[in-house]
Amino acid sequence: MPIIHVPRPPQRSMDPDRPVNLLLKNQAEHLQHAERRLPLKYRSKIYVKAIKTEGEAARYIREVTEAIHAAHADAAAQRARRVPKRKSGLEIAAAGELPGKKRKTAGKARKSSGKSGRKK
Amino acid sequence: MPPGLDNLKHIVVLMMENRSFDHMLGSLKAVNPQIDGVTDQLSNPDTTGAPVKPQPLAEFQGQLLPDPDHHFPAVDLQIFGGDTSPGRVANMQGFVKSYFNQQRDVGHSQKIMYYFSQDQLPVLTTLALEFAVFNRWFASIPGPTICNRAFAHYGTSFGRVDMNPFDVIEPFKSIYSRLIAANPQRTAKVYYYDTTSSTMEVVNLLQNEPELFGTFNQFLQDCDKGNLPDYSFIEPNYSDHDTDAGEEVANDQHPDHNVQAGELFIAQVYGAIKSNTNLWASTALLVVYDEHGGIYDHVVPPGCPADKFTAAANDTGTGMEFKFDRLGVRVPAILISPWIKKGTVVVDRTFDHASIPATVTKFFLGDYVPRSPRETSADVFIEPNTGAVDPARNLLSLDTMRTDCPDFDV
Repeated sequence: MPIIHVPRPPQRSMDPDRPVNLLLKNQAEHLQHAERRLPLKYRSKIYVKAIKTEGEAARYIREVTEAIHAAHADAAAQRARRVPKRKSGLEIAAAGELPGKKRKTAGKARKSSGKSGRKK
Repeated sequence: MPPGLDNLKHIVVLMMENRSFDHMLGSLKAVNPQIDGVTDQLSNPDTTGAPVKPQPLAEFQGQLLPDPDHHFPAVDLQIFGGDTSPGRVANMQGFVKSYFNQQRDVGHSQKIMYYFSQDQLPVLTTLALEFAVFNRWFASIPGPTICNRAFAHYGTSFGRVDMNPFDVIEPFKSIYSRLIAANPQRTAKVYYYDTTSSTMEVVNLLQNEPELFGTFNQFLQDCDKGNLPDYSFIEPNYSDHDTDAGEEVANDQHPDHNVQAGELFIAQVYGAIKSNTNLWASTALLVVYDEHGGIYDHVVPPGCPADKFTAAANDTGTGMEFKFDRLGVRVPAILISPWIKKGTVVVDRTFDHASIPATVTKFFLGDYVPRSPRETSADVFIEPNTGAVDPARNLLSLDTMRTDCPDFDV
C-alpha cells in the first residue's frame, strides 16, 4: 500500500498571540485552583486574570504544572531522607530494666545522690 | 479465544477536541453508504427561516471564529431547536440559530453546517475506512470539554455540566486508580503533550497523582522500547507555544487551531504504535473526540440510563435540571487494530465516553465495583477476553493479522 502523504500545517498557523480561548482559560483556572494549595515557594508570580493570549496561558500552565510535579518530588525526596527517630532516656532505661526490680522515683534518686539545686 | 483478543495487551485512547461526526467524517457516506454521514436531505434553518444544507466547505483554520458555543444551554438549543416545552422532541435543528447568537451575522452562522471533504482529512478518513468507525459514538453529556473528559476518566462527571473545578466524589475512582490498585497490579499512564500543554484533568489527577503523567515524547519512547502500559490515555497539544526545541503548534483541532496539525498528530500516534511490530500486534487504539464543539451533526442523541447525580436547574443554565439521561452530540470515533476487518462500520450499538473506563475495566479487571450507573450501563468496544466471546460483538475478529494496513509519511 503506498504511503499516504500528510500535509503539514503552514507556518502562519502558529500564533501564540492569538486571543486565549475558553478552554485554555478554564484550564488556567483549574491550575490556579491547584496552585492555591501549593506552598508559597512553588507559586508563580503570574496573575491569571491578566492572561489574554494563548502564549501567556501556555507560560502559566507550564509553570504551575511543573510546580506541582516539583512539590511532589520534593516531598518524596524528604520522605526518603527521613532520619530514624531517636529514643528518649526513659525508653533506653526501660530497655535495660531487669524484671521484678522497682525503679526509684526521680525525687528519691536526687535525695540519695546528695545533690540538690538548692542551698540548704 | 479469537487471536486478536488473545494477543491484546495494550489499550490506547487518543481524545481530540471539539469536532462533530458529520463535520469530520460526514463525507464518507458517499464512499461507504453504511457510514451514517451527510446527505442532501439534511438542513438547519437559519434565523430568516431559510434551510441551510451541509456543504463540504470547511476550512482548516480561520473559519469558525468565534469558537462555536458548546456549553450546556447552547447545546440544548442545538439539539432541541429552541423548544423548551415539556415533552419536547429533539430535532437537531438549532445549530445555525445557536451560532447566529454569537455574532448576529446570518451568512457567518451558516458556516456551522460546513464539513470537510475526504481528501482534506487523509489521516482520519483513511483510518475510518480501513478500521472500525462507530456510527453511534456520542459525547457523554450535551455540554463542554471538562465534563465529557471526566466520563472518560471516571465514568461520570459527578453531576457537573460546566467547566468549573470539581472534586471527585467517592466511591467512584478513576480508571487509572483502579488499575494501579488491582491485584495483580496493572499499569496506566496519561500522556499529555508536554508540561506547557499539560492536562485537562488538573484538580484531581495532576494535583494528587502527578506520577500518572508522562509526555508525548515519553509515549514515543515507550512505543519504541515496548514499554507501553496496559492502558494509555493521550492528550493533544492544547496551545501554540515555544519550547527549548522550537515552536509547537496546537494539534488538538479545537477551533481555531489548525486541523491539519491534528491530522499529523493522529498519524504520529498511529505510526508510533505500528512501527513496533510486537506492539502493533498487541494494541488497540481508539481515536475519539471529546465533544462536537457546537458544530452540526444530524443524529439525535439518544436517552440513556440516568447517572447517580443530577445537575440542578440553576446549574445547567437552562432553568431545567439534568439527570444525565441523554447523551451529547455525536463525535468521530475509530478503533484501530490489525485484527479489525477493513471497512468495519459499527451500527446499531450506542457508545459514549463512559464506554472507555467500562471497556478498560472489564478487559483488565473483570467485574469491578463500585462504578457509576452510567458506566455500568455503557457498552464496551472491546470484548473481555475471559469466557465465551460473542462473535457478533467482537471487533478484533480476524483470524490472522492484516498486512495491508496504511502508513503515513510522518
